[in-house]
Amino acid sequence: MLSRVAENLYWMARYLERTEDTARLINATTSVVLDMPHGTAFGWNMLVKAASLDELFSKHYDNAYEDSIMRFLIRDERNPSSIMSCIHLARENTRTFREVLPWEAWEGINELYLYAREHLQADMSRSARFEVLNAIIYRRQALVGLLAGSMSRDVAYQFLRLGRNVERADMTSRIIDVTTAVLLPRNDEPGTAYLNLLWLSVLRSLSAYQMYRRHVAVHVRPEQALDFLFNDAHFPRTITHCMDEVGECLAMLPKNTDALRALRSVQRRLRGADLTHLVDGSLHEFMDAIQGDLAALHDALSQQYFYFYRNQAEQPAAVAMGSAQA
Amino acid sequence: MNVDFSHYPRPGMYDELVASEGVARPAAQRLTDYLGTIPQDEFEARVAAVNAAIMTMGITFTVYSDAGNIDRAWPFDVIPRIIERHEWTRIEAGLKQRLTALNLFINDLYNEQRIIKDGIFPAEVLAGSKNFRTQCRGITPRYGVWAHVCGTDLVRDHDGTMYVLEDNLRVPSGVSYMLENRQLMKRLFPELFRLCEILPVDDYTTQLSDTLAALAPFDSDERPVIAVLTPGIFNSAYFEHSYLAQQMGAELVEGSDLVVGDDDCVYMKTISGLRRVDVIYRRIDDDFLDPEVFRADSTLGVRGLLRAWRKGKVGLANAPGAGVADDKVVYTFVPKFIKYYLDQEPVIPNVPSYLCMYEHDRDYVLANLDKLVVKPANESGGYGMLMGPCSTAEERAQFAGLIRANPRNYMAQPTLALSTVPTYVDGNLAPRHIDLRPFVLQGKQSYVTTGGLTRVALCEGSLVVNSSQGGGSKDTWIVA
Repeated sequence: MLSRVAENLYWMARYLERTEDTARLINATTSVVLDMPHGTAFGWNMLVKAASLDELFSKHYDNAYEDSIMRFLIRDERNPSSIMSCIHLARENTRTFREVLPWEAWEGINELYLYAREHLQADMSRSARFEVLNAIIYRRQALVGLLAGSMSRDVAYQFLRLGRNVERADMTSRIIDVTTAVLLPRNDEPGTAYLNLLWLSVLRSLSAYQMYRRHVAVHVRPEQALDFLFNDAHFPRTITHCMDEVGECLAMLPKNTDALRALRSVQRRLRGADLTHLVDGSLHEFMDAIQGDLAALHDALSQQYFYFYRNQAEQPAAVAMGSAQA
Repeated sequence: MNVDFSHYPRPGMYDELVASEGVARPAAQRLTDYLGTIPQDEFEARVAAVNAAIMTMGITFTVYSDAGNIDRAWPFDVIPRIIERHEWTRIEAGLKQRLTALNLFINDLYNEQRIIKDGIFPAEVLAGSKNFRTQCRGITPRYGVWAHVCGTDLVRDHDGTMYVLEDNLRVPSGVSYMLENRQLMKRLFPELFRLCEILPVDDYTTQLSDTLAALAPFDSDERPVIAVLTPGIFNSAYFEHSYLAQQMGAELVEGSDLVVGDDDCVYMKTISGLRRVDVIYRRIDDDFLDPEVFRADSTLGVRGLLRAWRKGKVGLANAPGAGVADDKVVYTFVPKFIKYYLDQEPVIPNVPSYLCMYEHDRDYVLANLDKLVVKPANESGGYGMLMGPCSTAEERAQFAGLIRANPRNYMAQPTLALSTVPTYVDGNLAPRHIDLRPFVLQGKQSYVTTGGLTRVALCEGSLVVNSSQGGGSKDTWIVA
């Protein structure tokens, strides 16, 4: 596997995951915003903050109303994380390694791109937006299914899986972080109800609500929800599950020492978390720390697999290296 | 749909599907009967489906002037071009003959230069050659073959004669479109493949892979590592590079993915270390191939690649320097090469040509610029040409100046009335001019594609079929 191709595979998977997660976040938030009491300090701009895009947003927009935020998150190509940008970048990445994917995968991603370009309009109504984002999620899921069903579990597949899980863990941490932005009076009955509602929206954004109810509880309580999203080993969007997946991928890759070390840092931090303490106030700092750990994991992957040989001196010592497996 | 050929062919034109008096040629009879049975709206629905499939399949071509827009769909016309098998057998033999002679010529130029000493090929033409690489002197690649992949452009004139228009020996492209066009036709008109006995085309990638594998620097049962070297996604033929790598199970690499080691072997940079590459199918021009010996500012190539090739540590197709025979002036000598090296008559003739380096020819060309097509020796893709009959006085004056300043660099040919094929335009079938690019492989063995890529000039009356100049393509059928 060429380092350049490995990097492009990894990023393609990250972009597609980000596409889907952003679409889910927007749809779930749209639904919860409607339930929030008037005067709540929760606004659409939270979506921008959660993605750490607030600086970029305020550079291009004067106000943080729903339509400008939606335009920024959905189709603004000046925002490299907008849904349109992610799909576009995923497609451009795919172009560089079509030979390692099943043939239909390129058609699938190309079709996703053409659909998005045609349907992501400037001013969509909430209902049109919901439909189009759902259609995008559906197409992305079809692509994941295609790869799962027709691609060898080779090194290329592992890089796709790495990208998907690193991005997914990062997005999960950001969606959890959305809850910390709500300024509701504590210990106030209606306030608590709304806080619970907010956590319900978090679970919904992650498509986790149904599984939470089946496996944890019917009532959504912040501490239990947090425990589920951090530590459940079986639900595919929990940080623990994503990290387990990363661990499985790394086990199949050569020279994985540094990346495994970075992976263990994330896992240690999760295990050491005091959940009660977190929901009482320090969750935001904690999520920042998790995101920092994930960034370090990404760096370790980049250093080892994407840049190590590319950065080496032009004249390699050829002894024995030629026999390495790609 | 309405199949009315009563106005075919146009006076002074040859149509590939329609004989005189508007009657379909025997090989095209079943096709035209079939088309006549399809309701117009269904036909249109299928055309729309083809175009949608082209978009989804991402069959694209980049046009240099469309900066920013990385690709555009490659226009495809659903009416195929049909050639009878017995004619094709003859053409196939002619193409093999031609490439064999060309490779003998290239190898001779880089070694003894007998053909110059024997007075057949003028030393001054070689002296003026842009693509002669002195760095390659004294080398004889395996099998004596320099050009392993050749795209030969064929055209048919009004009297039905097939001519060779040019030999593309550097990095000819288009074969992926030939293969994709067939896929499209099978997807959209499966019935036709039962009605007509159409020979399959998809053996090409296997043949290419075998040709490349035979260039590996070792003989063993192990599968050699083959890489397709591309300039990257901004190259107009990137789609094809990716397609061929995919079809052959080869690695698609860019220059920055490769490195030449102290042992002169070529390695690619993988996630687990450096891995040896045995054969490179390069789709980068000589100039950019190796900054150590060619253009020093090239960032697309691989430093030391030529050294690795000279020492036999890596197979390279086409060999550096093969482009010396991809020159429109050298082209005019190919019939002589066939006679000289093979002692045979050319099976497929050249288009009659005038060489501006000869005073007599030059005077004729300058006096008849409005009737001729003038071509520079070393351009490709239809760039830098003068199409006399549709030129302005200003353009002709400019070309007269260019020719006088550098006569060696120009040749001219009469404007051929390229043959036509009915083409679906605005709801009707209308004649459009075409050419044909078969692909020829030579190495341990020779191979010719079954048919080739038929390119069509989509504008009425236009003779320019190049994809880089807005042409389209058709499926090409060799029928038994």
